[in-house]
Amino acid sequence: MSERRFASLTLLPGAAWLVLLFLVPLAITLAISFGTTDELGNALYGWNPENYSRVFDPLFAPVLLRSVAYAFGTVALCLLIGYPIAYYIARFGGRYKYLLVALVVLPFLVNYLIRVYAWTAILSDEGLVNGVLVDLGLTSDGIRFLNTPYAVIGGLVYGYMAFMILPVYAALDRMDPSLIEAGKDLYANGWQTFRHVTWPATFQGVLAGSVLVFLPTVGDFVSAQLLGGPDTYMVGNLIQQQFFEANNFPFGAALTTVLMAFLLVFMVFYLRSAGRAAAEARA
Amino acid sequence: MRAIGERLRGPGRRDRAAKPFDRPRFLKLVMGLFLLWTFAPIAIVVLFSFNSGKSLQNFDGFSTQWYSEFFDDQQLRDSLVASLEIALVTMIVATLLGSLLAFGLVRSRNRLSPVTNVMMLVPLVVPEIVAGVTALLLFTQIGMQLSLTTIILAHITFSISYVTVIVRGRLSALNREVEEAAMDLGATRLQTLRLVVLPALWPAILAAGLLTFALSFDDFVLSFFTTGEQVQPLPVRIYSAIRFGVTPVINAIGALMLLVSVSTIVLALALPRLLGRRGQTVLIGKDAV
Repeated sequence: MSERRFASLTLLPGAAWLVLLFLVPLAITLAISFGTTDELGNALYGWNPENYSRVFDPLFAPVLLRSVAYAFGTVALCLLIGYPIAYYIARFGGRYKYLLVALVVLPFLVNYLIRVYAWTAILSDEGLVNGVLVDLGLTSDGIRFLNTPYAVIGGLVYGYMAFMILPVYAALDRMDPSLIEAGKDLYANGWQTFRHVTWPATFQGVLAGSVLVFLPTVGDFVSAQLLGGPDTYMVGNLIQQQFFEANNFPFGAALTTVLMAFLLVFMVFYLRSAGRAAAEARA
Repeated sequence: MRAIGERLRGPGRRDRAAKPFDRPRFLKLVMGLFLLWTFAPIAIVVLFSFNSGKSLQNFDGFSTQWYSEFFDDQQLRDSLVASLEIALVTMIVATLLGSLLAFGLVRSRNRLSPVTNVMMLVPLVVPEIVAGVTALLLFTQIGMQLSLTTIILAHITFSISYVTVIVRGRLSALNREVEEAAMDLGATRLQTLRLVVLPALWPAILAAGLLTFALSFDDFVLSFFTTGEQVQPLPVRIYSAIRFGVTPVINAIGALMLLVSVSTIVLALALPRLLGRRGQTVLIGKDAV
């Protein structure tokens, strides 16, 4: 047997598994999203595009918009906090560089649920922060932190920060520091150097980080479930409800398909932009 | 000389403007606050898991009662065992399938391998909730009872890609000349694979396996969608416990899970280093990093 023949054979089990347990389920989801339910709540196949018009119903459209808004807010905050952190580590980390990178990654080894739970414990009405505030006499009956958009976005930023810091750090680390010196030699001030030298040189890292944060954030339901309430629910919560409370699988499948389609368009834009940048870098 | 020059000019504005980032005191402050913000919540969870009282505001004294409460609870113990079982089976099957897939992708010039490559990469960017929904719909539509088996099947599906990406990186860095030399010396294809290729790949395979174990053990969303009613994995248990209210037992579980994840990852990082040293220079080409 030739080596290529043998290698083709090793391709088979994994490929077959992915077809059966990844592609087929995607197709089933798409099919069910046009289906209906019987009296018992079982999903039936059919042709019901109404599931999709319901997605954009005034009842549900705000939830979709809110998810996208929260996700963009999370990306913006991750960038605002993460860029200076990555910059500090890459340029001034010195011999502590790898230690600092490890410290950025370490919290992500803690289960996401537990990390969000930690914030519920800290921010709840009987939580640590309110305890301290009452003890200090700053407030008599505490401040309500939970069930606000700030808490939900805060949880998302806390949850996915490393996905922004690592690619930005990698881009900054790859960048030639003499470029910054050159900028200064040309009498650019700190801000101008950053805007015309550092930022463009690291933009691909920023873009990659933004995508890595955006993808899991927009489908998240844990943060909104534990730190928020019905007023802050995201599309993930809505999907989850269809499967565990409302028992409306076709509508849940339609919501999932819309989410996937949205992310697909998003990814295509990103890949095209990254491809263009790579072509420019080669030229 | 420099000191004199500085004194002559004085700490003028121009001097500071010329090197605005050389003393990044502001960035240092941001970094410090950031580390405080990331570690304080985790530290609080671990600290209060040893609290003798039920309060999450005041630390009353040291005790391990929440840990004994965890280990005395039959259901929670079952959940821990289930989680470990799921992670172990997922690790073994996903590592096997993923490594084979990596080998096939690197070594075959099959017409289908580019398509397979894309199919392998997509699960990495699919949001967890989409993964969960599609898996749940598959199992309900083919009439499969939700149980530990369905969780394991779903976990394997979304772990294969991690293994493939890691093992492929190592495999494409291998120096093919060593294999050719082995075959020139009369080794059969299987012998070459076993004696030359596999030893060079072991560190990567091991690291990928341990990563899969950690990811599977920690996974909540996929398990939540594919779990049955009877024995639920630990993260699903925690989720329902949190929804009913905050209790210190969750702190203890959190601390224990932290211990499992950190030791797995440390093992994943350390083992390839320890195992990979011998023979690396021969097997890995110069140009490969």
